[in-house]
Amino acid sequence: MPRVHLMSDHRRFTDGEAVVESEGATVGAVIADLEQRYPGLGEALTHGASAGVNGEIHAEPQYLEVDTDTDIYFVAPLTGG
Amino acid sequence: MTVAADPPAYKWVGTRPIRHDGYEKVIGKARFAADLDLPGQLHAAYLRSPHGHARIVSIDTTTAAGMPGVKAVVTGADFPDLDPTDPNFDVSVNVMARGTVLYNGHALAAVAATTRAEAATAAAAIQVEYELLPVVLTLDESMADGAPLVNEHNVTKFVESDGPSNLATVNVLERGDVDAAFATADLVVEREFDTAHVHQGYIEPHACVVDVGPNGKADVWASSQGHFMVRSLTAATLGWEPSRIKVTPAEIGGGFGGKTTIYLEPVAARLSEMSGRPVKLVMTREEVLRATGPAPASKSRVKIAASDDGELTAIECWFGYSVGCTNDFAGLVGAMSVASYKFPNLKLEAVGVLTNTPKTAAYRAPSAPQAAFAIESVIDELAQALDMDPIGLRLRNAVAEGDPTAMGMPHPRIGFIECLEALRDSDHYRSPVPDGAARGVGTGFWFNIGEQSSATVNLNEDGTATVITGSPDIGGSRASMALMAAEELGIDVYRITPMVADTESVGFTDVTEGSRATFSTGMAVVNACRDLIEELRARAATILGVEQDAVTWVDGAAVADGQDPLPLSAIAARAKSTGGPLTVTASLNAAGAGPSFAVHCCDLTVDEETGQVAILRYTAVQDAGTAIHPSYVEGQLQGGTVQGIGWALNEEYVFDDDGSLENASFLDYRIPVASDLPMIDTIIVEVPNPAHPYGVRGVGETGIVPPLATIANAVARATSTRMTSLPMSPPKILAALDTP
Amino acid sequence: MSRTHVTCTVNGDPVDFLASDDTSLLNALRGELGLTGAKEGCGTGDCGACSVLIDGRLNCSCLVFAPEAEGSDIVTVEGIADDDHLHPLQQAFLEGAALQCGICTPGVLIAAKALLDANPDPTETEIRYALAGNLCRCTGYDKIIRSVQEAAVRLKGAAR
Repeated sequence: MPRVHLMSDHRRFTDGEAVVESEGATVGAVIADLEQRYPGLGEALTHGASAGVNGEIHAEPQYLEVDTDTDIYFVAPLTGG
Repeated sequence: MTVAADPPAYKWVGTRPIRHDGYEKVIGKARFAADLDLPGQLHAAYLRSPHGHARIVSIDTTTAAGMPGVKAVVTGADFPDLDPTDPNFDVSVNVMARGTVLYNGHALAAVAATTRAEAATAAAAIQVEYELLPVVLTLDESMADGAPLVNEHNVTKFVESDGPSNLATVNVLERGDVDAAFATADLVVEREFDTAHVHQGYIEPHACVVDVGPNGKADVWASSQGHFMVRSLTAATLGWEPSRIKVTPAEIGGGFGGKTTIYLEPVAARLSEMSGRPVKLVMTREEVLRATGPAPASKSRVKIAASDDGELTAIECWFGYSVGCTNDFAGLVGAMSVASYKFPNLKLEAVGVLTNTPKTAAYRAPSAPQAAFAIESVIDELAQALDMDPIGLRLRNAVAEGDPTAMGMPHPRIGFIECLEALRDSDHYRSPVPDGAARGVGTGFWFNIGEQSSATVNLNEDGTATVITGSPDIGGSRASMALMAAEELGIDVYRITPMVADTESVGFTDVTEGSRATFSTGMAVVNACRDLIEELRARAATILGVEQDAVTWVDGAAVADGQDPLPLSAIAARAKSTGGPLTVTASLNAAGAGPSFAVHCCDLTVDEETGQVAILRYTAVQDAGTAIHPSYVEGQLQGGTVQGIGWALNEEYVFDDDGSLENASFLDYRIPVASDLPMIDTIIVEVPNPAHPYGVRGVGETGIVPPLATIANAVARATSTRMTSLPMSPPKILAALDTP
Repeated sequence: MSRTHVTCTVNGDPVDFLASDDTSLLNALRGELGLTGAKEGCGTGDCGACSVLIDGRLNCSCLVFAPEAEGSDIVTVEGIADDDHLHPLQQAFLEGAALQCGICTPGVLIAAKALLDANPDPTETEIRYALAGNLCRCTGYDKIIRSVQEAAVRLKGAAR
């Protein structure tokens, strides 16, 4: 069950919970699962977040594989100049 | 100087060869976009809004179209209207206004004519009827109850909203319990800060030449940090397939984030399409300042709690950024970046707010300098109150691998502590502060990004190699690509020709931004070289009559037991007979970009009669992971530092009440000149990034983050007055000194 | 539209071209003579990217009307190397990494040459003030100053 860490903006979908469990073998599957459990959260994560997994930040993480004990941090999209 | 623990013994990486593209630049032959002339070309000029906010009631281009030399005229009507929810909507509207002008300087028409003077004269003759709308210029005005709408299409991102507003984005990060921590803290310091809009100040104005042929295909030469981005944004703005557009990157005369978007190319393309001739479109300096993205202005409130023994226990910050007229600024995440300290209790809120001013753009580490100015100033004030050395206080609280970032994810291997120690142990910090001067310290970092890069390595018949990438070179990256390729292949760096190819000749590559080129494109180059070595081993096996497993690659040659080494050039000469051309492409979506931390120190004097600050000595320490070409790493540190010095001491946009920029020239928007500055000493720390084959961390952006607070902290110690408003220009310092 | 016939010397060569009265020398050099080394960074004489030598004196060519150049001896960055060698300033700039994007480099080289032609032994402060009219946004000036210092040393060595 990958553990999902949410930014404050997204905790409004989970009644304030900052860390939630989810299911899925990829980040995309996890997001779909979160949308089921917390309607609206999956949508918000799809459009407004990158995923931090194992110390690396991924901008389009749909197909990124995750394990049952992976921590996924959904963070604001990173950019630069 | 470089500080590194057990650096590997590289042969090429870490050396300082003359860059391959340097010769053309010192003899004046390097081709920047404005240096290109095509036969039959027209010149284009804009009509820009003289009002800060207005509805365009009508535009009549009839007179202009008939004026001498005029071959084509465009307005917003000549571009498709994207849906407001389309991610490219804001860029397309900024390229050419539709129905409403959102800032003084917003383009609403353009003319192509046989000379620039004719184009400008005709553009001025375009008749526009405006219905003036309320102009909102500051953050306070924009956030006030009942404030007029800056941009009717703006809907707040990241949170639920009821409809259009002036709030662009909201980001909140929390951990622990800041209220409880403040209630029980030994010491709390709270301050408010503000900074003005500043411009990236690249010396080369935006420029392009676009030639749309009879088959409807556009050839574009552009000054840009990302030619694939130019292709995609130009296509989106025109309503074209990207494959109709080929973009060749010209040499770029500075970008710093300001050239990570487009302004000109769709306009030049439409004019070229309409006239059937190439169109050259070059901004004037005034246009650059009036109509291209500055960095956001900011207001902030920072409150930090500390224990008597120097533990920073809690931080609560509010940051407000004026992001201009559209909601396109994703850089607010930088405000989240500044938790360089462990802070068990943390609450950060950053809002982006719209104003009727130019659409802002990234300026090195977007939104980080403004936040670091505030946070590092408060930390310095705490150090003073606790009577602790500023580096000592930071060492006590600095994050290291495994400590949480502000976003919660643990930091990977980072070098913040190493940088703090390097400054502490430096000659600068160990020498006494000169009489009459004061010393300031500040820190900062940038996450850096990975993103997509492609590289092709072609071996030539003579054993030289061409390394082709898609990353426009904004700081010497071609030299770094050649050095990494030389290291991999085992051949002399001057046997390698690094180049940046157009959108049809190299694989897709994301914009040169986010300090990603040496990291991500470097990885693509390394991967291509490694694949090429596999192929070279196979060819060598054929030539030597052995199994491929028996062949190793050593010092640029294939080596097998009992055989003389077979150098790369010998294999390249036999490419045809052993299977054909030796060419490899590699591409990736790079992950694992390593943050680059920096610590700065400055000695300065403040003239209490004139308010002028004189910087006597400046040292910038930064973690490069591994410095592929140390001279160009030093150059990034020095360049970012001096931009930060200008931001801190002198640069600001001055608007009148109608939103007209009053200082739209280099005379009145005064950036640092050589006589303002001392040498900028640098110390490169090398804590290799485990995710890159050479340990590279991007370095381009971090350098601009520490200087604002570094200088403010020195001024505070020189005058016993906390400067909380930038720039710390002479009148403002005098006013602060006069205030009891 | 009437254009003036201008005759002058550029980088040692006699040249002539047509220019209307409101054409800058900068635009004439770039557009008529194909010498694109001098750059327009501002068009108002504030950045120095257009620097050229006119009769040995440092000028912003964007502030000179092309017809004013009649009879002058103009030197641009394309003319400071000799046939076989880069000028010591150019060589020092390459070795010292005194350029990043390179847009200011032609102007800086011309201004530095004007300095060293008049003052072969400048102090660091003198170099900084001589180059104060040349804006650079990439380098922070450090490596530029050091490279000018190095070029001065080499020029003095060669002069002995």
